[in-house]
Amino acid sequence: MNSAVTPPATTPHQVWGRVRPARRTADRAMKIIATSFTLLAIFVLFWILGMLLVKGIGGLSVATFTQVTPGPGSEGGGLANAIVGSIVLTFLGIAVATPVGVLAGTYLAEYGKGSKLADLIRFINDILLSAPSILIGLFVYVILVEPFRGYSGWAGGVALGIIAIPVIVRTTEDMLRLVPSSLREAGAALGAPPSVVITSVTWRAAKSGMVTGILLALARIAGETAPLIFTALNNNFWFSPTLVGGVSNLPVTIYQFASAPYENWQQLAWAGSLIITVSILCLSLIARRIVRGGK
Amino acid sequence: MLSTLELSPQALDAEAPVRIAVKNLDFYYGEHKALKNINLDFRDRHVTALIGPSGCGKSTLLRIFNRIYSLYPEQRATGEILLDGRNVISNDIDVNELRSRVGMVFQKPTPFPMSIYDNVAFGIRLYEKPPKSELDDRVEGALRRSALWDEVKDKLKTSGMGLSGGQQQRLCIARTIAQKPEVILFDEPTSALDPISTGKIEDLLEQLKTDFTIVIVTHNMQQAARISQYTAFMYLGEVIEFDATNTIFMNPHKKQTQDYVTGRFG
Repeated sequence: MNSAVTPPATTPHQVWGRVRPARRTADRAMKIIATSFTLLAIFVLFWILGMLLVKGIGGLSVATFTQVTPGPGSEGGGLANAIVGSIVLTFLGIAVATPVGVLAGTYLAEYGKGSKLADLIRFINDILLSAPSILIGLFVYVILVEPFRGYSGWAGGVALGIIAIPVIVRTTEDMLRLVPSSLREAGAALGAPPSVVITSVTWRAAKSGMVTGILLALARIAGETAPLIFTALNNNFWFSPTLVGGVSNLPVTIYQFASAPYENWQQLAWAGSLIITVSILCLSLIARRIVRGGK
Repeated sequence: MLSTLELSPQALDAEAPVRIAVKNLDFYYGEHKALKNINLDFRDRHVTALIGPSGCGKSTLLRIFNRIYSLYPEQRATGEILLDGRNVISNDIDVNELRSRVGMVFQKPTPFPMSIYDNVAFGIRLYEKPPKSELDDRVEGALRRSALWDEVKDKLKTSGMGLSGGQQQRLCIARTIAQKPEVILFDEPTSALDPISTGKIEDLLEQLKTDFTIVIVTHNMQQAARISQYTAFMYLGEVIEFDATNTIFMNPHKKQTQDYVTGRFG
């Protein structure tokens, strides 16, 4: 057919290729709206960070890192016990979550391919990933605080661990899936059983991503408050080295001090918030560094 | 008929014993039957090339010899592949031991994320615990044999991932021969490489056939003609013709083979 290849008829007065004004206006409007909402979001973020910096730096001093939390009505004081307690609880949580998370993620990516059980675990893991953290606190309260008749750092570590597990499961599985199957085949082709292929080839290939996932989980639990209220509670003095009884920590201290009427307490709450935020920021930066280094 | 192919006839020993005998082999991807009644004999210390258009089943066939298909539960084979009198596709075969005897080199180089030395030692360490000095010797020997030693001898502790594509492929060959297998399977080993690297690998194959029985899948007919003594032409999951390479390329008996090797289809 000839008509199929003839160009569309244009009358001489029509200019080819000109953008219609209405379309140009719509395009500009869309760009302005999108940009302004982005600016709004960033503005709120910087507002929070700015307020944290202004109020937090004022509360920071050497004493913040050397003295324990002050009692009601007393002068000065610091956050030394809360900072150390938070570090202990966070690492306890990661120590609980890392083996469970890494091995479960490995099961999902390597062994459970296409199995119903793996689908079920993945589904439950996704639910756990978004479960309210206060629920996890209550759960650990029922299984580890009530039966032993007392709060403890161990219960706090387990609660934080349960929050970190789904994060690590997810990142481990995702990172292992990125490892090309040709690498697994190459390992198997040399006669390596699956366990050896996983531990010395696949894990190695996914190492930087898996470490990043663990660091992000660390950052996630470092600021958790709700699961600690029911488990490690808090402690205004140095906690027992056995971690039995309340263990002081930053998030619950911030919660208590920020709502207290004493000015030095409120100051310390700001300082504590700044310390947590900067720590999480550093962890995220390290995680990003590792991701880039791995590529 | 084959003016474009540079044929250097490869000496073949028609009396050489059969190393691998394939009998009545069928292969399935789930419900799909990908290989139909394959019967082939692979001669000891000879190079046999599998050629044919994409999807004809040549890689599928190669992946049965070392049971690599067993990694995927939906794939299964029936029939017999006899290696030293044992049927490798039977269920009571230790696939890991089989794979240490039947090595494989893949299309894309697959160095492990570890040092060059550890890459080559990986296969040895799986089944043997040689003293350090012997291990060093075996690693060096395998790298020399793969024509890689001179290029990497000063950086054995650096990552194998840092090598060029051609070097990585020779590293994978070194890793395979370090294990002293009887058979080596090559799955289009040069299709991801430049002509110079390809030339090096082809020279290597020439050297290796004095010690190993080699099966190579290739898309490149000149390559098959250059390096192999026997060639099987496959089409749609069947072996159409299997003979000495010279016969397949100069004087094929089947019209389909002739059409394919002269480039009329495929």
